[in-house]
Amino acid sequence: MTLAPVKHPAVSEAPVSPPKAAKPPQDRSGYLFILPWFLGMAFTIIPFFASLFLAFTDYNLLNVPNWIGLENFAEMFSDDTWWQSVKVTFVYTFVSVPLSLAAALGVAMLLNRGVRGLPVYRAIFYLPSLLGGSVALVLLWRYIFGLNGIVNAFLGFFGIEKIGWTSDPDFALTTLIILHIWTFGSPMVIFLAGLKQIPAMYYEAAAIDGATKWQQFRKITLPLLSPIIFFNLIQSLISSFQTFTQGFIFSGGKGGPANSTMFYNLYLYKQGFEQFHMGYASAMAWMLLIIIAAFTGLNFLLAKRWVHYDN
Amino acid sequence: MTTDESYIERIGNTRRKRFTKHLLLCLASIVMLYPLLWLVSSSVKPTEIVFKDLSLWPAEWDFSNYTEGWTALEFPFDLYLVNSVVIVVLSILGNLLSCSLAAYAFARLNFRGRKLFFALTLGTMMLPGHVLLVPQYIVFAKLGWLNTYFPLIVPNFLATSAFYIFLMVQFIRSLPRELDEAARIDGAGTFRIFWSVILPLCKPAFATTAIFTFISTWNEFFSPLLYLTEQELYTVPLALRQFIDSEGQSQWGQMFAMSFVSLAPVIGFFIAGQKYLVKGIATTGLK
Amino acid sequence: MISRRDMLRTAGLTGLGLAVAACGRGFGGGGSEAASGKIELNMVWWGDAFRAQKTQAALDLFMKANPGITIKTEYQDSGPYKDKLATRFAAGNPPDLMMMRMDSLREYADRKSLLNLNDHPGIVDTANLSPAALNLSKVGDAVFGIPSGLNAIGFIVNKTITDQYGVAIPDGNTWSWQDLAKFAKEVTDKSGKKVYGTLVDAATLANLVVYTSQQGEDLFTPDGKFGVSEATLTAWFQMFEDMRKEGGFPPAGFVETIGSSPDQSYIAKGSVASQIIPTNGFLGYNKAAGGNLVLLGIPGEATAKRRGTNIGTPALWSIAASSKHPKEALQLLNFLINDVEANKAMGTTRGVPASTVVADAIKPTLEKDDQVATDYLIGLQKQTLVPVPPYPKGASGIQDELTAVAPEVEHGRLTPAEAAKKVIDAATKALSQ
Repeated sequence: MTLAPVKHPAVSEAPVSPPKAAKPPQDRSGYLFILPWFLGMAFTIIPFFASLFLAFTDYNLLNVPNWIGLENFAEMFSDDTWWQSVKVTFVYTFVSVPLSLAAALGVAMLLNRGVRGLPVYRAIFYLPSLLGGSVALVLLWRYIFGLNGIVNAFLGFFGIEKIGWTSDPDFALTTLIILHIWTFGSPMVIFLAGLKQIPAMYYEAAAIDGATKWQQFRKITLPLLSPIIFFNLIQSLISSFQTFTQGFIFSGGKGGPANSTMFYNLYLYKQGFEQFHMGYASAMAWMLLIIIAAFTGLNFLLAKRWVHYDN
Repeated sequence: MTTDESYIERIGNTRRKRFTKHLLLCLASIVMLYPLLWLVSSSVKPTEIVFKDLSLWPAEWDFSNYTEGWTALEFPFDLYLVNSVVIVVLSILGNLLSCSLAAYAFARLNFRGRKLFFALTLGTMMLPGHVLLVPQYIVFAKLGWLNTYFPLIVPNFLATSAFYIFLMVQFIRSLPRELDEAARIDGAGTFRIFWSVILPLCKPAFATTAIFTFISTWNEFFSPLLYLTEQELYTVPLALRQFIDSEGQSQWGQMFAMSFVSLAPVIGFFIAGQKYLVKGIATTGLK
Repeated sequence: MISRRDMLRTAGLTGLGLAVAACGRGFGGGGSEAASGKIELNMVWWGDAFRAQKTQAALDLFMKANPGITIKTEYQDSGPYKDKLATRFAAGNPPDLMMMRMDSLREYADRKSLLNLNDHPGIVDTANLSPAALNLSKVGDAVFGIPSGLNAIGFIVNKTITDQYGVAIPDGNTWSWQDLAKFAKEVTDKSGKKVYGTLVDAATLANLVVYTSQQGEDLFTPDGKFGVSEATLTAWFQMFEDMRKEGGFPPAGFVETIGSSPDQSYIAKGSVASQIIPTNGFLGYNKAAGGNLVLLGIPGEATAKRRGTNIGTPALWSIAASSKHPKEALQLLNFLINDVEANKAMGTTRGVPASTVVADAIKPTLEKDDQVATDYLIGLQKQTLVPVPPYPKGASGIQDELTAVAPEVEHGRLTPAEAAKKVIDAATKALSQ
């Protein structure tokens, strides 16, 4: 395939989020392309708006819901456990997302630079993400982070006293954050794929111009990878705000010790399916959607400053 | 840089650097590999000593967990594996087809409602899934799809995974627009551009989607649990959970053995698929 | 170019091939109820493959005796059981016969989702159930199921350890909480802290219930309010903190949140000498802990104001109010409760059979450890116990608060009195909703 040469990214700086006022006129064929998506709305959008309706009701799963207006939303603000779940989720998100993304990007760049045995390393680093929600892993965590587990044994060498990684309310969330960072393999794979999209000739040209590695990173890698960084950021934010399985497995669904791992979605689940307060759970879900949407929206706004699309 | 010494020094430096790099990577690899090694080691220990003998190297290797675990459930384990593979393969196909179509439209085409539709797509990603369970179940029940694979597969053909749409949108938007325009000037229509220009350049995104779909579908527990009622249709995660229960006499050893068996296809698929991760724009005709 | 097409083609063909291979499975088809002309019952429970085999054996007996009925079963581990059940009820597709958690009973029963057995007299024979057993499934005058098996909590002591360190095991019928503290301290001291004397989970409601009843208080008042006083709750937390200080109890942070099966217990690991268990788990614990466990009563039964131990059940067998085949479901329920052969096949995986006649009849066929647990339960049913009032709606919120505050007391972040106050506040709020 022969294609027209590409302009240097530095030249075509058009940092536009949604390609606004894109030159091509209205293209009706777009509807054809999203036809499957339209049909899929039956499975996504209908339940989506059904839950919005239920957020304003006293739905208990078994009886017909009654409209109660904003009561569920008001209830949240006087619910201590709800606040606790917000706190846990925020701390978890804002600590683990930057750390795991930094680790993912760092390792991806290291691996991208022609390391011998790249496929092997890539597979190995991805492994913890493959194991995901495996039942077997619960026992492993206990083995690693237990009072007499290997982490404490290792720290013991340095004279550090045993830490209750899973039993001490001050440490349990830290343990979950560590476990989260450990699965940096997923964003790493996406970064690696993105890095491969950057034409090698840019680097060659820059090297000839005498650009240092750091300059190359700033001027080539970052701008060209920015749509992928942006994707990973949004995706990690959303999934981290919605953390459930990890917390559920870790505490056996209790959010303990002392509610220190009571994630937002775990509390929502307990309200919905243990207490049968599905109306309240739906309201909680929509509140979370508002929170996530606010952060995502903020990121889309900020993206105009740093995400470069080639338009 | 002209003298021999500095040349040798430079080589030495590079070697040392490379050595440190590999040393670091190897150390990190141990941390990453640990769970797998532990799983393998636990799978060859009898259940009685799994929680007592914590050594990574088992005192003796006992493979009966594999032979007994394979037939311990109502059906032999290969049935569950085949069921999972059927669902996974069709889900991957569905996601690749439908999400790439939608993503191309969202990334490149200009039509009324595009922004709203895209925002809705992202919105569905932001709502916790638990509150969608009941309405979704009702929809599938109305369609008469309970106890079939349709609820697990059909949505994938209808671009319901916002994650993959968003991923592909970002990939497509990182491609130079000049490619489209050049093709358009050559007389290619929208679909032709999508098929012959964009798709070939999206292999890394495709590979990523395929791998991620494989893993998430392969590990998915709750949807199959909800929609499948007959043992004969059960998937691997459902089968694995039948080895253990807090009230029963859990067969931990067999569960570990079968967990390892069920990991093999995922790891294999990743290793096979990962070569496509690197076949991006950098290695195709763009010179 | 080629590789992309190839990739798609290969994937497509593989998918198609497998789909054909698995044809008939998972893609519609399959005989429906109408086609076979049989009545089909859907029955769900939680458990593992082992329990499934035993249950299936009993169901096969039923289907042999009732050729017009087929039973489709679904089972899974207890974790996600309640979500699936709730979803099915919500979507109007509940199972006919199901295992019903005690803490969900009122949620379903009060919303008229379960069949009242009194509305269909004469099918389920409850003559051989002790009042204590029958009481469990009653809400007011209505009966919403039959206990799938009975259990209670009991105290297990690892005799191997006590023998090793020369500590005498107290008399399980007459010992007090002070005796437990003394015993525990002795084990810890004599073992040089290698083994801690005892471990009682302060956060488990079932344990607290026994203690509060011993103090003369009911968990719930007749009008559905929380009946435990602040003083009793404070004493409950204080008792364990005192034991912790003396050494009989493990230090803060010892108990980890992950895993709860007998194999993972601290008594199985040999790091504690005694603990409280549900009695139907005795066999499992004894296997995991080396086979030399002794089953004792709960401390304080003979010395406190009144009895605290009560008979409970892990779950009821209940029938959905909207079942299309209530008669047949009741027939099956009756079979599960009263048929000796069926219960021989099932054993005591769900606890001791609720019918005392059946329990006596199957006892000789059980393993020795299950016989010990069965004797304990049969013995309890002959005694005068203080029944636990039914759990009102919202009661699960109390367990949640207990789970939340107990570690805070353990780590010294709340005093027992502060924790007690928090539990009472939370309980009052949960029950008022």
